[in-house]
Amino acid sequence: MNLIFEISEQGKRCATIRKPDVQKSSLAKKYLRSGNLELPEVSEVDFARHYTALSRRAFGVDNGFYPLGSCTMKYNPKINEEVAGLEGFTRIHPLQPQSTVQGALEVMETLQRDLAEITGMDAVTLQPNAGAHGEYTGLQLIAAYHTARKDFKRTKVIVPDSAHGTNPASAVMAGFEIINVPSDEEKGVDLKALKAVVGEDTAALMLTNPTTLGLFEKNIKEISKIIHGAGGLLYYDGANLNAVMGIVRPGDMGFDVVHLNLHKTFSTPHGGGGPGSGPVGCKKELAAFLPGPIAEKTARGSYRLVECKKSIGKVASFYGNFGVYVRALAYIVTLGAEGIKSCAQHAVLNANYLKANIEDLYPTEKGRHCMHEFVVSMQELKDKTGVSAMDIAKTMIDRGYHPPTMYFPLIIHEALMFEPTETENKRTLDEVIKALREIYEEAFKDPEYMKAAPHHAQIGRPDEVRAARQPIVKYTKE
Amino acid sequence: MANYLSTTERETKEMLESIGVKSLDELFDDIPKDLRLKKLDLPEGKSQQETMEYMRALSKKNKVYDVILRGAGSYDHYIPSMVKNLASRSEFITAYTPYQAEMSQGILQAIFEYQSMVCSLTGMDVSNASVYNGANAAAEAMLMCTEKTRKTFVTFDNIRPDTLKVIKTYAKRRGIEVKVLSPKDGAADLKALKAAVGEDTSCVYLEQPNYFGLIEDAEEVGKIAHDAGAKFVMGCNPISLALLKSPAECGADIAVGDGQPLGLPMAFGGPYVGFMACTSKEMRKMPGRIVGETVDHDGNRAYVLTLQAREQHIRREKAFSNICSNQAYCALVASMYLSAMGPQGLKEVAESCTDYAHYLAAALEKVGLKRRDKGEFFHEFVTVSETGADKILKALDRAGILGGLKLSEHEILWCATETLTKADLDKAVEIIGRVK
Repeated sequence: MNLIFEISEQGKRCATIRKPDVQKSSLAKKYLRSGNLELPEVSEVDFARHYTALSRRAFGVDNGFYPLGSCTMKYNPKINEEVAGLEGFTRIHPLQPQSTVQGALEVMETLQRDLAEITGMDAVTLQPNAGAHGEYTGLQLIAAYHTARKDFKRTKVIVPDSAHGTNPASAVMAGFEIINVPSDEEKGVDLKALKAVVGEDTAALMLTNPTTLGLFEKNIKEISKIIHGAGGLLYYDGANLNAVMGIVRPGDMGFDVVHLNLHKTFSTPHGGGGPGSGPVGCKKELAAFLPGPIAEKTARGSYRLVECKKSIGKVASFYGNFGVYVRALAYIVTLGAEGIKSCAQHAVLNANYLKANIEDLYPTEKGRHCMHEFVVSMQELKDKTGVSAMDIAKTMIDRGYHPPTMYFPLIIHEALMFEPTETENKRTLDEVIKALREIYEEAFKDPEYMKAAPHHAQIGRPDEVRAARQPIVKYTKE
Repeated sequence: MANYLSTTERETKEMLESIGVKSLDELFDDIPKDLRLKKLDLPEGKSQQETMEYMRALSKKNKVYDVILRGAGSYDHYIPSMVKNLASRSEFITAYTPYQAEMSQGILQAIFEYQSMVCSLTGMDVSNASVYNGANAAAEAMLMCTEKTRKTFVTFDNIRPDTLKVIKTYAKRRGIEVKVLSPKDGAADLKALKAAVGEDTSCVYLEQPNYFGLIEDAEEVGKIAHDAGAKFVMGCNPISLALLKSPAECGADIAVGDGQPLGLPMAFGGPYVGFMACTSKEMRKMPGRIVGETVDHDGNRAYVLTLQAREQHIRREKAFSNICSNQAYCALVASMYLSAMGPQGLKEVAESCTDYAHYLAAALEKVGLKRRDKGEFFHEFVTVSETGADKILKALDRAGILGGLKLSEHEILWCATETLTKADLDKAVEIIGRVK
């Protein structure tokens, strides 16, 4: 299909604005730009058709099965979109007098409190704009905590080899060095290896629980003892909280700092890659370091914004992605205590149901229930047929399903990570089970066909090497 | 009450049987019993109707002003219906990052078009798919410019306060020194800048227009930065770029800014979108997603996430930035806004803003609010007055007008956009004239 620049015709107009009814002003010529502004010129119908066509070439949760592991692609309730669009939330200026935004501050304060309860933390900032941004914020809190105790030697952050790539990247941005620890046979943190690396230089261990393999870290109490015993802190990457919310809390597992992804666990939409929101919770010993302002309820029942005493400083402008908070609060309010727990239960049920019905062909960790997601290794199939995890993923596209996460975590060969989420229905899961079993058979019958998949998609496999070697990253008029 | 599940009790039972367990609880056997929570201390769930009523009531506790004369980083602009309408298509809203190019060409192409438009506005060669907001874009630019021997970041105390705060946070623990120079008459002091830059300077960061609305002599600032061997980073208001020299024309190596004015509501500060563009020389240091054009195996045009060797999921601790989720949906809205306005429309918006701002400045002068700074301005300016700022702003508030932002007891930062009329401004000025 055409780029919007390619349907542009000089002189076409779409949106129009009122002519100013005051005298024209003029700026000195030396400040003015020369040449034309290369923006599309389209009519309103051109505009509507172009963006409708683009949307038809996008695939969202509303389009179908979206088991993208680690991303928690649950349904995004429509009511949340409507409330976030209410004029009282969209047409308010961030620097209005606080007495005129009591509703907005109440949204923030209520959400902060709810998230603190769900995670078992004492204080929460909503400011970070995404999960990785939350990690960065949490690690700065940890740095500030050690520094305030004049414990300057703690320069290292321990990260398991199964961790999300953002973990080590965030720790480096926050000025730490990384120590990687291997996984043990049960795919948990290798305790021996952990004991060997902890010490006076340990600032923190970053952990996802359930891990990126979709397994609950059974040794969490022992891990907590090792880290805290060495004077370090325990950081919870909340990417997988959907599996356990309402059932077990990071705070009760021994974690000191946690970030959440409102765009995963709390149903706010991903929007093709954001905006997300990555609130950070912490235990009271770290609360004074949180980035402000945060919302607070006064004794008289009104709301206000306050700065934290020894804040690490701001990590984003204003108060973060406020519109995302409105959606998340609407979600939590609708679900309530029981609803939140049942999300976790059904997320785990759906994952185990899918796993139980394909694991004879799609091998995964044996003898254990998975949590909200599971990782299969297609190495054996690849050895036998040449068909890779990638080929399976692309074949799923032909059948109208979004593929699972591929080639992650890095410790599993030919990995596919399935996360169906709690909002998926049984009928779809049954269809997918049937499709995956057929795809497996196909790998033996016609591997070459699968290696060239997808055959019925918008495009065939793109040449990624060419894209990186001869980068074309913007439209240029011919 | 609602929980968005789609499994009946009967199906749940069938599924448990298929797994080979008796209860949902059994699936959680790996979790130590003593760690488990009894019950969350949260209210019971609500029906959707009750949620709507509850959230609506909260929204009504916020005051929506008829007339807004405040900017300072968040701007009230007209948002065309077609932008709101087409952006609300659920395929855009409910999609993830386009990892699977074969079924995400729509999202990828939208990002490619966004990148192209950011390049048009800024004159730069390469744009990323967005970062969190303008402040974070400036902080990421600082990290891009930092080198082993060049670790000093130089700017003026006339950039947005939030941007400066975020920059200072990001400089921490990285050995980066942030040098903040005092402006002269509100604008960049070139003499002070010349004295401040040197062999250790990584970059000079300038906002155009600056926080006080003044148009800076950006080319001169860029020359001083480059003479010292440092990079030049410009933070821009995207609407102003319809009129003002592009960052490329001013010699910038990196252009950043907040895209909120491009069709995104003020929404109490977010979500907004940080745009970031650079010269091709800097491309491989740029953080965030970048979409590139290529071909599929049949030679058809195709779009993919590219240059991923820069990113955290490949490089882990060696990545230039940890950014993963960005503000893609806001970037889509911004690109729709630019398409809807077109070059002529965007210019008209920018001109309308300057016309109303200049009319307001002149009218305020007549009632004793004189401009503090001499230089030319875009759509914001600072006044000083004998009458206290609080008194003025309170009087306006009573009439449903959100006045400018109080900077000090007697200084106010005003903003005007195309949403205003002469009658709005006359009314505001008349009210101020009566304040004693």
